[in-house]
Amino acid sequence: MAKPVKDPLTGAETTGHVWDETLQEFNNPLPTWWIWTFYGTIIFALVYWIIYPSWPIASSYTKGIGTIEYKNAQGQEVTRPWNMRSLFVKDMQESESALKQKEYLAKVSAASYEQIAQDNNMTAFVRSYGKGVFGDNCAACHQTGANGVVGLFPNLVDDDWLWGGKTEQIEETIRQGRLGFMPAFKETLNDEQTTDVAEYVLSLSGLEHNAEAAKKGEVIFNGQTGGCYYCHTTEGKGLYSQGSANLTDKVWTIANVPAAADTEAKLKAVKSVVLNGVNRQMPSFNHRLDDTEIKVLVAYLREMSATDTK
Amino acid sequence: MAHSAVAPSEQYNYEIVKKFAIAAIVWALAGMTAGVYIASELAWPLLNFDIAQITFGRLRPVHTSGVIFGFGGNALFATSYYVIQRTCQVRLAGGNFWPNFTFWGWNLSLVVAGIGYMFGVTQGREYAEPEWYVDIAIAIVWVTYFFIFTLTLMRRNQPHIYVANWFYMSFILATALLHIFNNLTMPVSFFGTKSYSLFSGVQDAMTQWWYGHNAVGFFLTAAFLGMMYYFVPKQAGRPVYSYRLSIVHFWALSFMYMWVGTHHLHWTAIPDWTSSLAAAFSILLLMPSWGGMINGIMTLSGAWDKLRTDPIMLFLITSLSFYGMSTFEGPMMSLKSVNALSHYTDWTVGHVHSGALGWVAMVSIGSFYHMIPRLWNTTIYSIKLIYVHFFLATIGTILYITAMWVSGIGQGLMLRAFDEFGNLSYSFIETVAFMHGPLAARAIGGMFFVTGMIVMAYNVYMTIARAKQEDSVPVAAAAKA
Repeated sequence: MAKPVKDPLTGAETTGHVWDETLQEFNNPLPTWWIWTFYGTIIFALVYWIIYPSWPIASSYTKGIGTIEYKNAQGQEVTRPWNMRSLFVKDMQESESALKQKEYLAKVSAASYEQIAQDNNMTAFVRSYGKGVFGDNCAACHQTGANGVVGLFPNLVDDDWLWGGKTEQIEETIRQGRLGFMPAFKETLNDEQTTDVAEYVLSLSGLEHNAEAAKKGEVIFNGQTGGCYYCHTTEGKGLYSQGSANLTDKVWTIANVPAAADTEAKLKAVKSVVLNGVNRQMPSFNHRLDDTEIKVLVAYLREMSATDTK
Repeated sequence: MAHSAVAPSEQYNYEIVKKFAIAAIVWALAGMTAGVYIASELAWPLLNFDIAQITFGRLRPVHTSGVIFGFGGNALFATSYYVIQRTCQVRLAGGNFWPNFTFWGWNLSLVVAGIGYMFGVTQGREYAEPEWYVDIAIAIVWVTYFFIFTLTLMRRNQPHIYVANWFYMSFILATALLHIFNNLTMPVSFFGTKSYSLFSGVQDAMTQWWYGHNAVGFFLTAAFLGMMYYFVPKQAGRPVYSYRLSIVHFWALSFMYMWVGTHHLHWTAIPDWTSSLAAAFSILLLMPSWGGMINGIMTLSGAWDKLRTDPIMLFLITSLSFYGMSTFEGPMMSLKSVNALSHYTDWTVGHVHSGALGWVAMVSIGSFYHMIPRLWNTTIYSIKLIYVHFFLATIGTILYITAMWVSGIGQGLMLRAFDEFGNLSYSFIETVAFMHGPLAARAIGGMFFVTGMIVMAYNVYMTIARAKQEDSVPVAAAAKA
């Protein structure tokens, strides 16, 4: 057995144990700063345990001396040992931001849409609160900027509304949800007829088209063969009650006509909608959002989009 | 002292150490590449390619199991089998069969588990994803490992048990305990993959994080401290700084770690007392953790010049610095008030990786550069490439951690910011958009680290190839004569 050895470099003594030919260990004492810091953490832990609930005792636990005061549901002031739930309730009752938000929400909830629109303060609040509600509930489909995805989710910031852009119409859309449905015509119309209708649709918004085919298309559109006018009306302006698109403006929500390279591609895009129809659904938010949230959302959308032109 | 007359390569079972060492490097390459891929998916979601098997959720456990149990596990098997033989001066117990059983059992279990993850077979418990049949296989392998290690220890030719072996022993015992209790499940059918936990609700969550945090404590900390306690003094050629410190911090660490798991569940449906108990114990854990760092770094006192000349020492000492940093960061993050900001953000991910890349991977890499040439009785192919690896690994780790601090603390602050109306300033999706830059930087940090591992794999391959060539030369010459 080797004896303790003094190290020539540091003067420290080893324990005398040797492994694997060269492995040794010094018998240095614990570093003083290490041990005092360790004691420090012990004091910290003891204080922490005295303040907060911490040690289990039989079926209960030490409650700690920290307390939280808040108002219960009956409005009485109560004091409880520190706990997460009370802390949350207190925060919602007393924190600066919670109080401010509550005040604004009460104001908005009592005001009409006109009053909100005319009050700069309330409009600014709606813009801020609405952004959050929209971001959490609507942005997944309509995108954060509310400009939607062509072919899938309508753009909410242009001046075109499928179901109407008046406050009560927007509110109904949010509350009830919407079913955007157009039947597929691939079983009803042959290829030539589909082309004719599509040419007519292009002509409605003043795009390049074959005038002769469009004329034949108009007959199908406004006759019993196609029956398109039931929903889109004879002028092609659509009906809010049906959610049918206005075909005479420059806005395209399903067929991505503006992105199509040439007339042929535009025609193909429109034909695809006629052949396959449309089947879109927006869910109802009546039970997901409360009345004030819906109100803020309507005012937010109303404020973001251009004026209703129809 | 009894010195054996035969060469170490004959006295000890090096074959099994070699197998585990090579497996560790292979798993490192696979697991870290998977990590870079999922990190890239978060930055550029296009990389999902709409293939369910390679989406983040499926590949993430492939990455974590690959690096923790594949790379880390194989590295621990390799070094523990190496260290125990050398410090006990006795050949590994269990003959050739049982150590090989642990090798094939461990690695096959991981392969079966990993393939399962990609097809959605998982228990959904973080770091304990393998389903019941793999759990049983792992338990059998682990008990075998325990016996091999203990029997070897009992046959030692040394009066004292070296400190590294205490840590390896506590790691083997604690891991067995954690693995078995956290995986108590009831399979739905004998031929089906699905099982359900024996625990439910809050108890299930607390069991899982008792396991989860002690996997960090005993698998990723205690075990690698064992590795450190052998390879740092051995590489430095200096005695361990303080025997007394090693005893105190070993017992303090082993005792404290078991209490802190619940700090992973702050501000959830758990009872308040479990939360504060865990938080205070996490603070108590700070100094015991640092004991290992002090003992490692101070071992270099009197030999600091080695940092200038020895890249292996650079790896080992840097790993201890990252260890010290992340064991300071951890207790801070486990305080409820700090946790309210950090929880569910990338700060946690960054913290884990400063431990995983900076500490666990670097200490293993340093140890491997020391051990591998000795296993094949040769010298390393290129010291320059070790330097290259060191700088790639350090830059990668720092880039990774910094990116996650920005991403995590940034998102945490955004989520709690209020505007002048008392409304939340940012919607969730805005915080996600903010994270894009840091997420890309993190993926690049990971790429640096993987590149370093590729350099290592090449260096190790050339070292072994050259050793084999040297071995065969005299044989060929003899054949000619």
